[in-house]
Formats: sequence, structure tokens, C-alpha cells
Amino acid sequence: MATIAEGAARTRSGQRSRSLRQGALTGLLLLPAGLWYVILLVVPLGIVVIFSLGKTAARGGYAPGLTLDNYAAAAAEPGPFVTSLWLAIAGTILCLLLALPLAYFVATRGGSRKALFIVLLVIPFWTSFLIRTYAWLTILGPDGLAGFIGDAIGDPAFRILGTPVAVLIGVVYGYLPLMIFPIYVTIERMDRTLVEASKDLGAGRWATFRQITLPIALPGLITGSILVFIPLMGEYVIPAILGYGRVFLIGNLLVLQFLEARDWPVGSAYAVMLIMIMLVSISFYLWFTSRGRKSRDVSVL
Amino acid sequence: MTDQELGDYLRRISGTKVNRRGFLAAGGLAASAAALAACGNGAASVAPTSAPTAAPGTVAPSTAAATPTPAPTSVGKDLFMYNWSDYVAKDNIAAFQAAFGVDNFTYDTFASNDELLTKLQGGATGQWDVSAPTAEFVPAMRDQNFIQKLDLTRIPNAKYIDPAFKGLWWDPTNEWQLPKDWGTTGIAVRTKIVKEPVTTWKEFLDIAPKYSGRIVIVDSPGDVFVAPLKARGHSLNSTDPAELEQARQDLLALAPHVLALDSDQYAKKLETEEAVLGLVWTGNVLPLRDKPKTADIVYNIPTDGTLFWLDTWVILAGAPHLDAAYAFLNFIHDPEVQAKETDFNNYATPNDEAKKYVDPKILNDPAIFVPDDVVAKLEGAKDLSRDPTRIAIWKEFKSKIGS
Amino acid sequence: MTGAIRSIGRRKTARRGGGRRNDRQGGAVELWMRSHVALVYLFLYFPIVIVVLFSFNATDRQVTDWQGFSLKWYGRVLGDRQVQNALFNSLFVASITAIISTIVGTTAALGLQRAPRWFRGPFSALTYTSIIVPEIVIALATLVFFSTAFDFASPILGFRLKTGFATIIAAHCLFNISLVILLVQARLNGMDRTHVEASYDLYGSPWRTFWQITFPQLLPAIVAGFLLSFTFSFDDYVITTFVSGAGTTTLPLYVFGQIRKGVTPATNAVAAVMLLITLSTLIIGQFLVSRNAKRKGQSGSMTSMVVEQR
Repeated sequence: MATIAEGAARTRSGQRSRSLRQGALTGLLLLPAGLWYVILLVVPLGIVVIFSLGKTAARGGYAPGLTLDNYAAAAAEPGPFVTSLWLAIAGTILCLLLALPLAYFVATRGGSRKALFIVLLVIPFWTSFLIRTYAWLTILGPDGLAGFIGDAIGDPAFRILGTPVAVLIGVVYGYLPLMIFPIYVTIERMDRTLVEASKDLGAGRWATFRQITLPIALPGLITGSILVFIPLMGEYVIPAILGYGRVFLIGNLLVLQFLEARDWPVGSAYAVMLIMIMLVSISFYLWFTSRGRKSRDVSVL
Repeated sequence: MTDQELGDYLRRISGTKVNRRGFLAAGGLAASAAALAACGNGAASVAPTSAPTAAPGTVAPSTAAATPTPAPTSVGKDLFMYNWSDYVAKDNIAAFQAAFGVDNFTYDTFASNDELLTKLQGGATGQWDVSAPTAEFVPAMRDQNFIQKLDLTRIPNAKYIDPAFKGLWWDPTNEWQLPKDWGTTGIAVRTKIVKEPVTTWKEFLDIAPKYSGRIVIVDSPGDVFVAPLKARGHSLNSTDPAELEQARQDLLALAPHVLALDSDQYAKKLETEEAVLGLVWTGNVLPLRDKPKTADIVYNIPTDGTLFWLDTWVILAGAPHLDAAYAFLNFIHDPEVQAKETDFNNYATPNDEAKKYVDPKILNDPAIFVPDDVVAKLEGAKDLSRDPTRIAIWKEFKSKIGS
Repeated sequence: MTGAIRSIGRRKTARRGGGRRNDRQGGAVELWMRSHVALVYLFLYFPIVIVVLFSFNATDRQVTDWQGFSLKWYGRVLGDRQVQNALFNSLFVASITAIISTIVGTTAALGLQRAPRWFRGPFSALTYTSIIVPEIVIALATLVFFSTAFDFASPILGFRLKTGFATIIAAHCLFNISLVILLVQARLNGMDRTHVEASYDLYGSPWRTFWQITFPQLLPAIVAGFLLSFTFSFDDYVITTFVSGAGTTTLPLYVFGQIRKGVTPATNAVAAVMLLITLSTLIIGQFLVSRNAKRKGQSGSMTSMVVEQR
């Protein structure tokens, strides 16, 4: 009996030390990432929040303070937020419209050459986005399409660059692959027999698409939309290059505040507001699209 | 200072230089400061044109021919420059590298004085060696310990700099900067398309709606404020709330018609006729006059007054390659090197000796080497980059471009 | 009864008729889909073709001013110190970032599996936050953080801290670590546990189980994470602009400078060279993967590993 009790005690302490080791291992595994998040995410964002409550120093930069004036100033100038929102939504919808047929085609009709189609999509993505953007400067510029159209319609001042059209082209061009991949992945995994069954039951093409394919592809559509919408909200480089700065977005405003006006507190207030808007819109979007649906499959990428 | 040199000096200041000197010394220190400074660097400011008459015993370096001073034994392999884009002639960079064995000449760029200051404020001191801020920013950089005092004994070629540029309000002791080049802010017009005369800021602002979407403006608040303030006859350094409010109205009226705020590619936009009017700096647009397709371009110095600007060389605090930095500053003010800079940049050089080597076409161009009577009507800028009203107006203007 | 039979007949007819109708409609839809796909690919490749084409432009300055064929810009680019530095810096930063992010992200994903529920929530929230917060905000916050931290730390440490490669890499890693975590987590969740259990039943040690069972199954996600981290870091402009210092100009920064200055065919040549490098890497990679896979009898497509993740 003593041996059994001893044995049990040994097992219990063995278990305890094992679970301690387990815990230590888990902690060790999570430590590097945790450190990164704390030092390079939590602390910087915390500093930004603190700055947003401060005052602008005479020389530019931050001066300690506790005021909501910056938020008031930011709320009074909602223009760039609205423009960014508009651009992000328009860009996402355009990407969606372009991506869906293509993803569907490659997934269902690609056959043995599916991989090739995908690789062909990846290659442009592997050249610098800046270089691809400036290529559009040439294509849409006065020596390119704008000049061509201008001559054709007899208007020497015809211009594409510096208009929202140029910005949308540049944006769609840059983000399209991000939309295509998730949709492709989802449709590719779809059970093809469902479509056949639907056809056998006499449903037309459109009905099949609407009732079978689309619901199954929906997670991919959602993922793709999020992947495009999020970065688009903060986009400012492409509009600066192709839009000549005439499409004034929240990103441009932040750069203006931080780099030129050196109004760090006001800029920080704008930044915090932007983060809030992002969190709210993503949460709303996710809630809206998962109403009444049990979706486990919103796996990213 | 010998009698000979004093005589030379007095002869010079009684000549045509008076106007420019008078206006430049905006702080009112004028002749006294200049004279004191000139006396202090007396030997250095005497141009070698008087060399044959100078006594052999006087300061040797000034009588030497205009050749680069012998290179020090080694200045290291690196020089890190932080400058406006395309602001030093590539040939000169190559020549400098060859002459001093600086294999690694890093040329990073900024687009505005504010960006330079922000980078430095954000902790970038100790990274670059040499920079070229505009003159009115030098006091701010000095006060925040971003630049270091210049040891002028290491820059003998500084003696060639026109004394008119010395002892001015931004650097009364001439210890913090070295003049780089100067120019004006004016109106560029494609006369082929714009038939109306645009020789004043008022005309520029009035005619803007007619050429909506074809106006390019440099991305610089200090320059942009010149137009509305001068159009109404105020000082371009005004901080008067009423005057600034008027300027704000004018700028907001102008904003929808602006094609772009572009400090780098305004010449290209004028060349392709994307823009037909421009609020620009001297320099980049002038070479277009020589091209057949764009020969109609003119650069007007507005008669209702405009900005006279000066860019300066500084050595940044904590410069990691000090020897190379001094070698470069001395090299760049070698008169022949300076002349090549002017030919490349189309900006006027402050280096008197260099004028001998400058392309005569450029030398005689009144748009570049502005005649003194015109210079007298120009205004120098003060550092108003932290004025809250101006900042607010600039932000509003920038956000309403093209809308 | 006859009604039912008649209705069956009607259905059959309907299907037949519907089928024929579908074929005609189908043909049009197929045509539309095919042309759509062709147009999109054209749209994607047109700028790339233009870029490569104009890299052979013999003009002296303006890239759009066609002056005939020439390889001179390639010569200039390959000899241009600035370009070489920029390219090297980009490759260096991207490689280090990818390696760090992959390791840290994978270990974190594994750790998350073992972590208690109360920990997973907040940690995942941080992961998603680092992805949702716009890059410009992260860039600014990081700049502000570094400048404040350096102001505090420099006097204590005695020497001046400055922005440079370390800061760029650290900033890039943040986003990429989250990326890898998400990828590996997704893979872990869909993984078959029976093999792991079998391994334990056979007295395999946790370490061995990991290396021989778990790790090979995770490999596609890890590889995908590595490649994506490399790509994002290599191509990053916004964060790099804000946290870079002197002499750490990466390729995107160089290109942006060129765009500001006025593009010469030199930039096109750089792009063409980069395209060549990535293409060859892809082809070599594909060759290696398919050769390896044939040995193991798996599907030999690299992209299927990356994209399909089954």
C-alpha cells in the first residue's frame, strides 16, 4: 500500500513538473512573438494615443498635455476619411467584379493548367509595385493614352492622370491578385458534383451560380474583400503618384501632418480615428456577412 | 588688411553691388556688418583679379590660381549626402569621387525643408554628413543642434563667395553655412497656349480659372504664400491675421484649378503641356527655351514683387565622415566646379570667381543672374514654417487641390 | 397517376429544352468568360511589357522618347553603385525579415495551440490588429516610438542609437510574423491529428513527433509564409521610408526617388532585371520542388503547395 501511495505521489509530482515544463515550453514558444507585439505594436500605438491627447510643440512634435482638442479638430475635417472610404469601397467592388469570373474560370475550367494560370498571376505581383505604378504614369500620360485620346477627340488638354479614374486603375491593378487568390482557393475546393446535380434538377446557369456556387464561394469573396479593403483604406502612394495628389486621402493627410506640418498630436488623433474606423468597419462587415451562417472557413489567405 | 586690399574693397562696395547688399541685409545691419565681416575675412574676400597688384607677402592662398587646394591624405571612402533631388551635377560628383577616392557617395533625397527637419527631429542626426537647407531654416537647425560650426580654414575656396552673401540675418557670423546657389520664385508661362500677359501675381491668380487643371505649383508653403500676399501688395513674410485671411481666400479660390503640387517634375509637366502655367523656381524651366518644341516658354519675375531664395550647404551635427564633408564643401566651391553646377542647375552661383567659367548665355540671362535693379525689389524669406495660421492655411490648401 | 407520368414527361422535356437553351446561353457565357479572362491577363501584363520594352530605349533622358534599341541602360544599371546598393539592401532586409518572421511566427502558432483559452483571445486580437491597422499608421507609430525610445535610451547607453537596418527589419517583421501565424494556424487547425496520436502511442518523444509528423505537414504553410514575408518586405515602401536612415535605401525607395526625379530607362532596366531574377528563382524552385515531389510521389506544383493548402 505504501508503494502505491508513493507511486501515486511520484506520478502527481511528475505530472506537476511535466505540466510546468509544458507551460514553460509554451511560454518560450510564444515569447518572441509576444515581445514583438508588445514592443513594436502596443507601445508605439500607445505612444500615438498619448500624443493624440497632447499639444503641438512650438518647434513641431509633441508637447505633453491632456486635451481632446485634436480629436475635435479631426472630427471637424472628415473630408479625407470620406474620400478614403469611397476609394476603398469602389476599389474593392471593382476588384471583386474583375476577380470573380477569372477565379471561377481558372478553378473550374483550368484543368491541368491551373497552376500555370496561377503562376501567371503571381509574376506581376513579384515585381515592385512602385515600378508597376510608374508604368501606368507612362501609359496614361500625355505621351500615352491621354495623348492618343486627346488627339482623337481634338482636346489637347485631355488628361487621365490626376483624376480618380487613374487612381482607380492603379489601385485595382495593384490589389487584384489579392482578391483573386482567396476566391480561387474557395471555388477550387468546391464539390463539383453539386453543380452537376443542380443542372440535373433543371436549374438554369444563373440559378445554379446564384444558389450553389456563390454561397460556397462566399468565404473566399469575404476574405478577398477584406484583404483588399483594409490596405486600401490606408493607401496614399498610388493616389499620390497617379492622382497627382488631387485625390486627398487620409494617408496623404497623415503624411502632411507628420512630415510637413509636424503637428504630431493632431496627426496622432487622425491616426487613432482611422484605426477606430477600420475596426468598426471590419467588425460590421464580418457580422453582416455571417448573419445566419455558421462559417468556420473564414481562414485568411 | 593692407591698404591695397582696403582700397580694392572700398572700390567694390561703392559699385553696383550696393543695391543687392542693401536689400539682403534685411535686419538692417547692412554695411557695418558686411564691412566688419569683410574686414575679418579681409584677405579672403579680395578677388584674385587684383592678384597682380597684391604684394607677394599677403595671404598666399588668395593669390593662388583657381585650382583645387591639394587633397588631404585621406578623407575616407564614404560621404553621405542628404539633399534635394538632382541638385548636384553628376559630373561633379564623379569628379569629386575620383579626386578624393570617395568610392561610396550616398545621395539620399528629401522633398522639402520640413521633411529634412522632421527626419532630423525623428532621430536621424549622426547619419548624414552634408545637407542643403534653404537659408531661412539654418537658424532653426542651429538652435536644435542639427548642424555644426564650420571650420572655414578647411574650406579655403569659401573666399570666392560674394561678400554680399555674408553676415546676413540667418548666419551673421558665417560659421554655420556656406551659400550654395540662389534664385527667384516666379511664373512660368507656355506662351503658345497662354496668350495673355502673366507678369504679376495678380494676373496669375486672376487667370487661373481659365486654365483650370493646367497649373503646376511647387510643393513649398514658403513659395506658395508669395502669390496671394504679393498680389495684394503685402509682405510675403506677413503674419498679420487679416492679410493671411485674404491670402487664404485667394489660395482656396486657386486650389481647384491646380494640376499638382510638384517640386520635382514641374518642368516636365510644362514641357508636355499638361501644365501651361507654373508657380516655379528659376532653373529647371529655362533649358526648355532651347528646345524647339518648348521654345515658347518664358519665366517671368513678377513685377509686383517676389521671393529671393538662397540654398546653403551645411555640415550636419555628428557627421560620420567629417573629412570627406569638408573636402566636398571645398571642392564644390572650386570656381570651375561651381560653374559646372550653374550650367547644370541653371541657378545663379554665389561664387564670384566661378562666374568667369560659367556659360555666357547663362551668365547674361537676366532670369538667372538677376540684375541688381530687379533684385532690389525682391524680398528674402523668414522662417515662418511654425506659424500656426500659415500651417493651417497650407493644410487646407493642399487638401483642396483639384477638388 | 397519369398526371404524374405526364408531369415526369414534361420535366424531361423541360430539361431537354432547357439544355438546348442553356447551350446557346452557355456558349455566350463561355465566350464572355474567356474574353474576360484574356482581358484581365492583358491588363495585368501590359504595363510589364511596356516597362521591359522601354528599358531598351536608346534615348538619353526621357524614357517615353523612343530613340531606337539599345542595351546601354543595362550597362549603366549594372555598373551603377546606387542601384547595386539598393538591390543588395532590399535582398538583405527581405531575407532576414523572412527568416525571423517564419521562425517566430511558426513557434508562436505552435505555442498558441497549447496556450490556455484566456491567453489565445487577446493574443489573436493583437495578431489581427497588426494586420488591420493601416501601414501608414504603423509606420508613423514606429517612427514616433523609435525617436522617443532613442531619446531616452541614448544617454543611458552612452552611444547614440539610430535608425537603420535593424529598425527596418524589426518594423517589417511585425506584420510578417502575424502573417505566418495566421497561415500556420490555419494549417494546424486543418491537420490530421491521428498521425500525432499514433506517434505518441508508439512512444515517440514530443520532439521527434514534431519533426517527423507535424513539421512536414506544416511545411507548405511555412514555405508560403516565408515567401510572402520575403515579398512584402522586399516590396515595402511606406514603413521603410519612415524608419530608414542614411545609406539604407532599399529598391522601392530608390525607385520612388527616380519617379520624383524623372524616370530614365535605367529604372526600367532595373525592373527588367528584377523580373528576370524572380522568374528564374520561380523556375528553379519549381524544378526543385517537382523533382523532390516525384521522388515522394506527390503533386509537383509549388503553387499548389502555396495556394491550395489542403
